[in-house]
Amino acid sequence: MIPSRPSMRMRRSAFDAGCDAYAGGVHAEQMAEETPLVDLDSSALAAARLLAERRLPALVVTKADGSPHSILPASQVVRFLVPGYVQDDPSLARVMNESMADRAGEKLANKRVRDLLPHERRELAAVNYDDTIIEVAALMARLRCPLAAVMKDGKLIGVITASRLLELALQPS
Amino acid sequence: MAVVAVVTFVAAYILIATERIPKMVTALAGAGIILAFGVASSHDAFYSHETGIDWDVIFLLLGMMIIVGILRQTGVFEYVAIWAAKRAKGSPFRVMVLLVLITAVASAMLDNVTTVLLIAPVTLLVCERLGVSPVPFLIAEVLSSNIGGAATLIGDPPNIIIASRSGLTFNDFLLHMTPIAALAIAVVVAMLPLLFRGSFEGDPDRVADVMALNEREAIKDWRLLIICGVVLAAVFIGFVGHAALHIEPSVVALLGAGLLVLLSRSKPGDFMPSVEWETLLFFAGLFVMIGALVNTGVISQIAEAAARATGGDALTATMLILFVSALLSGVVDNIPYTAAMSPIVLQLTQGIADPVHADALWWSLAIGADFGGNLTAIGASANVVILGIAMRSGSPISFWEFTRKGAIVTGVTILLAAPYLWLRYFVLAS
Repeated sequence: MIPSRPSMRMRRSAFDAGCDAYAGGVHAEQMAEETPLVDLDSSALAAARLLAERRLPALVVTKADGSPHSILPASQVVRFLVPGYVQDDPSLARVMNESMADRAGEKLANKRVRDLLPHERRELAAVNYDDTIIEVAALMARLRCPLAAVMKDGKLIGVITASRLLELALQPS
Repeated sequence: MAVVAVVTFVAAYILIATERIPKMVTALAGAGIILAFGVASSHDAFYSHETGIDWDVIFLLLGMMIIVGILRQTGVFEYVAIWAAKRAKGSPFRVMVLLVLITAVASAMLDNVTTVLLIAPVTLLVCERLGVSPVPFLIAEVLSSNIGGAATLIGDPPNIIIASRSGLTFNDFLLHMTPIAALAIAVVVAMLPLLFRGSFEGDPDRVADVMALNEREAIKDWRLLIICGVVLAAVFIGFVGHAALHIEPSVVALLGAGLLVLLSRSKPGDFMPSVEWETLLFFAGLFVMIGALVNTGVISQIAEAAARATGGDALTATMLILFVSALLSGVVDNIPYTAAMSPIVLQLTQGIADPVHADALWWSLAIGADFGGNLTAIGASANVVILGIAMRSGSPISFWEFTRKGAIVTGVTILLAAPYLWLRYFVLAS
């Protein structure tokens, strides 16, 4: 039997209590917040600046008709900035002495948001407006996505970030 | 039974060559059919050196994979490559020459795929700094890795298979293969300006970008590097001292790997990902299928037919093996080719009285199979790996772009090897 540690027990029951407090209560629609949108052909540099200035975990990328296409995590933009050869051989990051910021602007210039997205299209992290907090959390965990789009009648009505979800889940009941 | 053995092998060979199914799966399935139909028994497959799994080959590969898995953590390859690029003072041509030489030497000690996986990222970095296309550099490096790998017993899997079948030692490879590999590399280096004309015009203002790289930062763990150096030296002594120590290379490699794991205090998670279990299982399945061909007399029949075709003349057989091996290795994987040819060559050598002439057949097989891997983009695993890396980096290399250069280099190196074999083993030896 694995002995449980007090700190782990406390965190687990806080999450459970938080979830219990919202069982049958708040749904995705009520948790959703507004977020800036970018479309596939928006400037990559502008999208990166948006993420940086507002400290956003991700952006919702829309198609030309305004419907959500995918989620662009900030980590994906960072990944785009790191040269492929450094991702293949991380030790090369140490031999390069210049600041990544010196080259970031160059790399993003003339690029579109669609260029930042992974080649294999991933499942869109989207929840229905009446999904519960557990359903939203399960989706984020499965897709490892820091943000979920909330949909109602086929339209995007807002987003739920991982930090928003935790804020609600960990509020004392 | 012979029919089952032949059909199974041919079908497996085609599937391996076309890569419709992962080659490990193909080889194991073929071995399974051989055993299921009773063409070979479990004793034949697991305990016979002549007709079964060649455990010396498997464990030599395993040992070296573990050693390389730990060695690559030190960052020493990146250090050497960046140091060389800085010594070249930003001249693209000098950088290419140095990287080609580094790749050739590394390939003699490590397997070719590992070598190109290590050299490619730093090549992309240096080329980006210089403002030149990495394509010529990547092609030149993989061509030199296939040639450099021919220099030693452990440099290329075909050599390991040949050594196990023939009884040739690590020192034999140093004496007989290293000279021709070194000569071939020298010729390829001389050809670089012609092969890649127009690829060396960099921006002189970007030299400072290369000089700004700090190669010392590439070394992650100096203690580990020293330990690796000591163990590698011991392994090398073990290989070279085989005649005196009577320890098989496979045992030397395993002992070296074990010692390195102990001294470096590496955890299995650090080096086990470097063990290519698929490759080892592919070899196992392949050996069972080849063993079935030996068991059923198919190999004997082919060897007798080959002996009749060459009139029993060793020189004719040597040249035939060289050119046929180079051609076939260029279009199909040289590992199953060598595994299939080895028992045939073994039988041919048994009909040749002069041991020097007999050995020439083995050297021609090794040279043909190793150098022939450069012929096309699919001739060697390292070629395929480099094409994948180039594609991911945004600088794709087409099949024909590679094959044009590869065919020239293969032609030149094989034409260099032919008089080498003739002079060394038939003119100067008599």
